[in-house]
Amino acid sequence: MLSNLYIVKNEVRQQRRQRGLSQSDLAATLGVSRQTIIAIESGKYSPSLPLAFRIARFFEQPVEAIFDPDEEEVGT
Amino acid sequence: MNQLRSSRAFAPLCTLVIGTLIAGAVAIGHTWGDALIAEIVTVVVSLGYFVLTGRDSDVGAIYGQRSDERQREVRANASRMGFVAAMLAAYACAIVAVATNQSYWQSDVIVAVGGIGFLSGIAKFGVHDERPRRDYRGIMDPPATFDEEDEGENGEALNGDDTRSDA
Repeated sequence: MLSNLYIVKNEVRQQRRQRGLSQSDLAATLGVSRQTIIAIESGKYSPSLPLAFRIARFFEQPVEAIFDPDEEEVGT
Repeated sequence: MNQLRSSRAFAPLCTLVIGTLIAGAVAIGHTWGDALIAEIVTVVVSLGYFVLTGRDSDVGAIYGQRSDERQREVRANASRMGFVAAMLAAYACAIVAVATNQSYWQSDVIVAVGGIGFLSGIAKFGVHDERPRRDYRGIMDPPATFDEEDEGENGEALNGDDTRSDA
């Protein structure tokens, strides 16, 4: 069953690896759980706008460079 | 109170209090032996909850009152699923109770409280239109005049049609 749930693709994993950070490090820096970083990286969860901006600011990139605005509809 | 509310002991303590109330009810309506068993089960479940709240997992974070935004969403979805299941169970119990000519007021209470809670949730968490009363127009009301509409910095109407062009 498909719902109107949209996931945006992102570059969080690549950016994190470029900086040699673990998922736990990134989670602690952003103030979220490690499971949430895993969910974002695997495309199972789209972060809220405030968290997306925090991620982009942390990586010193514009939001569009981290998150692909092309939406992808997924099933629940 | 807020400190306790946000600590990992909150869910286990709630479980302990509710379980103890149930054990008290068992003591009144049944036997002290049954009440003792109920209390022992309550303590074991509460301790289990407390151990669970310390785990590095979604369940641990949710029960431990330290959810982030995704875990709050997980919790909301799980609560929604639990609510639907409880309502279906209440309807099923009501049907069985009616069919077997037994009392069914308990199911009525659950369904009524659930329904009122659902509507209260919509009222509380829904976004309400904050336009002033004068902006609401029925089909019998006269059309809005320009003076009644919101204006931008240069005098253009921001909502509705600009009726000056019809004049």
